[in-house]
Amino acid sequence: MSTVAGYYTTQFGELWDKSLFDLVEEAMQGVIKNTKIKKESIDAIFFGNMLSGLLDNNLHASAKIAEILGVHVPVFRIESACASGGMAFHLANKYIESSSAKTVLVIGAEKMTDYSPEQTTKGLAAASSGEEQEVGLTFPGLYAMMAREYLTRFNYTEENLAYVSHKNHYHGSLNEKAHFKRKISVEQVLKSSYVADPLKVLDCAPISDGASAVLLTVDKKILKRNKHCKVLSSEAATDSISLKYRKSLDEIYSTKLAAQKAFQKAKIKPSDINVAELHDCFSIAELFAMEAIGFWKKGEAGKNIKELGTMFGSGGSLTVNTSGGLKAAGHPVGATGIKQIGEIYLQLTKQAKNRQVKAKYGLAQNVGGSGGTSVVTILSI
Amino acid sequence: MISPVKIWRRQKVIKKLLGKTGKIISWTMIMVPSADFKENAPYPVILVEFSDSKRAFGQMVDYKKEDLQIGNKALCILRKVRKPTDDGVIAYGLKFRPLA
Repeated sequence: MSTVAGYYTTQFGELWDKSLFDLVEEAMQGVIKNTKIKKESIDAIFFGNMLSGLLDNNLHASAKIAEILGVHVPVFRIESACASGGMAFHLANKYIESSSAKTVLVIGAEKMTDYSPEQTTKGLAAASSGEEQEVGLTFPGLYAMMAREYLTRFNYTEENLAYVSHKNHYHGSLNEKAHFKRKISVEQVLKSSYVADPLKVLDCAPISDGASAVLLTVDKKILKRNKHCKVLSSEAATDSISLKYRKSLDEIYSTKLAAQKAFQKAKIKPSDINVAELHDCFSIAELFAMEAIGFWKKGEAGKNIKELGTMFGSGGSLTVNTSGGLKAAGHPVGATGIKQIGEIYLQLTKQAKNRQVKAKYGLAQNVGGSGGTSVVTILSI
Repeated sequence: MISPVKIWRRQKVIKKLLGKTGKIISWTMIMVPSADFKENAPYPVILVEFSDSKRAFGQMVDYKKEDLQIGNKALCILRKVRKPTDDGVIAYGLKFRPLA
């Protein structure tokens, strides 16, 4: 069983003085320094990134990473839209399980603010179907259509969604690496302008720059020197890229499948999880995740979120998105899945400082597109 | 990237849907568009289900606010969907208009 033995993340935000590979270098060197390893002990590198080929005309990142680090090991670039980071981790874990590799570096990174919001929005839309792009649908637009179905079917309003952003911004205020460190009220969310009706600006994760890295290893010498947590399972599942071919619009079915596999392999149940990082690219997506993973019953997330039992300090058995989630910590697409696992690592190894919760088991859920890909990873002390 | 040949290939699909009517199963109003649709915003996009259970997305045109409701009927029509390409090819595609 592999373990996460170290984590480093750059600041998330609008980092105009840094390029994609400045961020990648900072994250790689950061985790190498934190774990006190020599670069020669790294057997392979996995890099999660979505947009560099599209926005930067910048492919073959594997050779660039080899150049930065001065290594000659295999380097793999993984693209699964917003699940690129989670999928990189999933594959790195499989690589250790199935090869002689002992230590693997996993990085996720994205540079999104070099371009206008319209250009970045267009780049992100590449992760939707051709038809969805042709009619001018954006990702907020796709999730808005899913949200409308959920709100209509279960008789909720936009207020039910607003509590997700309120909670996650409070968590962001406790995370020095978060893009947004300010608290927002439910009223502020409700008063913000629409991006794609019924979703408003404060229902949506921002466009951010950032890079995160974790060290995955089975090397006992490295484990001896570092705080670590076990990877009980990391499972992936897929669904149709287009929303129109889904069985239902008000769920993320791929998350349900990935979670079922992950819990089966980890031999624990959803009620055992104490801390979770869920893919709240939009407020509605955290509610879908709570239901798909099995933390809450179908149709009840809209009601339950208003109790704020998953907020830090509430005394509940499960705290969700202590990093601030994508909403407040920021969403540099390729980095997100790694930052989620890194946050769970910090919680399980008691390094989460002012947002530390008591936790034995943690879970990270990373989604690509409108639910076409999901990766669910379960970690334990 | 859009190319004339891609626009031409798409016509085979579009012509099968023209004139069909279906029910709105979800909708949104796009206020912040991507670069290609900057001049069109705000615009509504609907997801329609036909009687054979097949579905299609499209922008709604000639609508009033009350037409944007789950369960309302809409008709498939042919309209320009993008700005002309650099080669001057005009991209026609599906849009919907409300059906009382």
